Amino acid sequence: MNFSMIRYILGCVLKIEAAFMLIPCLTALIYREKDGFIYLAVAIGSAFIGQIMSLRKPKHNVFYLKEGCVATSLSWIIMSLFGSLPFIFTGAIPSFTDAMFETVSGFTTTGASILPEVESLSHCNIMWRSFTHWIGGMGVLVFLLAIIPMSGGSHINLMRAESPGPSVGKLVPKIKHTARILYLIYLGMTILQAILLIIGKMPVFEAINTAVATAGTGGFGIKNDSFASYSPYLQWVTTIFMILFGVNFNVYYLILLRKFKKAFFVEEVRYYFIMIFAATGIITLNLIETSTNAFKALTDASFQVASLVSSTGFASADFDQWSGTCRTVLMLIMFVGACAGSTGGGIKVSRFVVMIKTVIKELHSYIHPKSVKKIKLEGKEVEHEVVRSINVYFMTFFILFALSVFLLSFDGHDLVTNFTATLATINNIGPGLELVGPTQNFSFFSDFSKYVLIFNMLAGRLELFPLLLLFHPGTWKGILRRRTRSITDKHS
Amino acid sequence: MFGESQNKKEKLNIIIVGSGRVGATLVEQLGKEGNDITIIDKDASKIQSITNLYDVMGVVGNGASYSVLMEAGIENTDLFIAVTESDELNLLCCTVAKRVSDCSAIARVRTPDYSKEVGYLREKLGLAMIINPALESAKEVARILYMPTALEVNSFAHGQAELIKFKIPKGNVLCDLAIAEIAKKLSHNVLICATERDGEVYIPSGNFVLKEDDIISFVSTRKSAKRFFDAIGFKTNHVRDTMIIGGGTTSYYLADQLIHAGIDVKIIERDRERCEELSVLLPKAIIINGDGTDEELLKEEGIHTVESFVPLTGIDEENIMLTLFARQVSNTKVITKINHITFKDVINNLDLGSVIYPRYITSEAIIAYARAKKDSLGSNIETLYHLFDSRVEAIEFLVRNDSEITNIPLMNLSLKKNLLISFINRNGSIIIPSGQDCIKAGDTVMIVTTHTGFDDILDILEQ
Repeated sequence: MNFSMIRYILGCVLKIEAAFMLIPCLTALIYREKDGFIYLAVAIGSAFIGQIMSLRKPKHNVFYLKEGCVATSLSWIIMSLFGSLPFIFTGAIPSFTDAMFETVSGFTTTGASILPEVESLSHCNIMWRSFTHWIGGMGVLVFLLAIIPMSGGSHINLMRAESPGPSVGKLVPKIKHTARILYLIYLGMTILQAILLIIGKMPVFEAINTAVATAGTGGFGIKNDSFASYSPYLQWVTTIFMILFGVNFNVYYLILLRKFKKAFFVEEVRYYFIMIFAATGIITLNLIETSTNAFKALTDASFQVASLVSSTGFASADFDQWSGTCRTVLMLIMFVGACAGSTGGGIKVSRFVVMIKTVIKELHSYIHPKSVKKIKLEGKEVEHEVVRSINVYFMTFFILFALSVFLLSFDGHDLVTNFTATLATINNIGPGLELVGPTQNFSFFSDFSKYVLIFNMLAGRLELFPLLLLFHPGTWKGILRRRTRSITDKHS
Repeated sequence: MFGESQNKKEKLNIIIVGSGRVGATLVEQLGKEGNDITIIDKDASKIQSITNLYDVMGVVGNGASYSVLMEAGIENTDLFIAVTESDELNLLCCTVAKRVSDCSAIARVRTPDYSKEVGYLREKLGLAMIINPALESAKEVARILYMPTALEVNSFAHGQAELIKFKIPKGNVLCDLAIAEIAKKLSHNVLICATERDGEVYIPSGNFVLKEDDIISFVSTRKSAKRFFDAIGFKTNHVRDTMIIGGGTTSYYLADQLIHAGIDVKIIERDRERCEELSVLLPKAIIINGDGTDEELLKEEGIHTVESFVPLTGIDEENIMLTLFARQVSNTKVITKINHITFKDVINNLDLGSVIYPRYITSEAIIAYARAKKDSLGSNIETLYHLFDSRVEAIEFLVRNDSEITNIPLMNLSLKKNLLISFINRNGSIIIPSGQDCIKAGDTVMIVTTHTGFDDILDILEQ
């Protein structure tokens, strides 16, 4: 295990976070808020610590998958720790557990909040809270790869550990350029959305906040009622962008390259849209009776579907009050989530597609026991290794899921609450049903349960295994051995 | 749009088909020079391991298929290299690639059937280069056998100048001699370009004092080299006979060349059928059917008396064992071929004498081509060699036009440190330059340097 390289990467991550913290500082400057000084102090503090950590360049900069996973997991934990400090020091969220929950929820683009009241927060706190979504959406290590010159190909392991999806590839030969292209697309789409929102007469501050929270498919609202009070135009713009940020970013790269034909025939994206249309259709039909008119029903249905399928978690209506059918459909699409290679969470459409194809193949083999059939995705054969890892992923997901529901049950809340709270955190969505419904928040959970949910969010964002690796004794083996060796060196 | 415009050197987009030994070496070496590389192979697990190791894009598929090439981005490719196992596939890959884009295509062709028609194939298929690692290795082995004192011989200026590496033995005249004194005492026409002592490589200045066990590289014409070796008391005749273990393609090419030069060749090959083939192809050679790793057979065939011994089996470990054995039982000249294994430090410590690495021979030629393709100014890379484990580069430039460095006496140029101008080839005559000489347009100039990545003659100037 190359621990000095991990230390170096963690140092770089802290420095980047410090740089990002200047954005709330700037906000504070504009609105003349004292909280800005706290952000500045935390930024300087983390830049300083980061500088110390990355002062000495490691001798060997090769590292393998395990180092990539450990570095990624630790980066996210350390980033959340430092990111929560301003909330504590400004007094916005005095409890450490709560501040940590809010920050992890931000970075993992979950958007589950423990704050009952958002509008009273200072502007810079709101800005930082929303901006954590943007940082976490594409991933801070991808950002690191885009700006820091690193030699060698082993850094693909960092990207692999952080990017969602069963198989992570590159767009162009150099990982640095791939990371840059991803961030440029990301930034471009965020700015486009902000402009469209401003055109729709949303105040600039709110437009920026909404755009960054949508881009990361986060879902921290800036109003207590999330999105309900905005005009239909603003709701539709946000609906469309929520869906777009849930699409595999490779598609946008193909569009940039003007390979339209290829871009529109990505299998995963096709299933993603089919799912969205189906869910919206069912829910609209269900809402038509109770709604004032059909357009309102369509607006509400599509907004909620887009929000939950892309794992954003905005709400323009209290869908917890809807009929059982609607709530079930919404919960099902929450399981599936967005496309691989997007900023969205969930199990991912491509995993489901492969799983369903495996089931069909299994049925086929009952009819023709000796038949040979390979599963294909995007017109290409899916390697056995990929199918295997998807199966294991499913299994692990449901074990963690069950464990989390079990642990939450000690708080004594009802099953739907525990079930959807777990679902909403592990799939990085935000709101669930019943007590954690769109108009509620997570503050009533005990501290222990909050830590369970924090774990869920991190595990979900990093796709389970990088985080679980931290709990494997083999990961830490080297550190102990090195210690003992240096002790024996001293003795001899 | 996303490239680095601040970098003065343009990057090449390179596609490599085939991720075998040569493919992997090319990925490593060309990647080090900052090019954007895409590698294509049918085997997904090979692609996986290469993309984990190097910063390149991998595409799984058949490199001769149009759609796979499109996926790899053939339209914007500058250089296309096909190095799969099969000659025919390589040629097909290049043909398809040439139809889609106007890239330069390089194919590896190994079979002797085609290698005799290289010129024809190249012209008709519009290829930039056809590489044949087996033939190139054979040529390198032959060059060393012509001058068995040397550890390594690289040729420049179409064979007119050679860069020769040898080790100073104990008690030689060269010991404790400063480099500046060599010209006075021994010969004017050699120039020592690089020396290795205790694992460190130096580009020596005139007051560098040589010691025993130094490995030195010097440049000169072949005639002067012989005279120089005579003067320092080495024997200079080429070997009279050689024993080759293994009857592969390289062995065939080598035997063919040596026989033409009048050297007796004995090949020991395990496979009966191959022996028969070889005896048809090489009527003058002695072909022995037997196990080349059998000690008794080697003794019987005269390993004690043979003047040179070249193990060319497909297994590196066997080659190394044979070399160690030969060095123990006789003082014959031994050349070891190492294909796969990469434990360079171990190999260096074994003191094998001359070692050749076919995969580096191939990649050097391609890197030289790739660098030459990058620059558009008034010079071109003719030849490139990596010396001393790639720590030193010897590059031959063709100076086409007048520029900042031409027509100025060399002593007035501000050159980079650790750099030496070894010779100037003007209309076929080799000049070992002194401070008063100048470079002129039309010359080819050879540079030896510890800097890497030069692709233009102007790179020698201090920025």
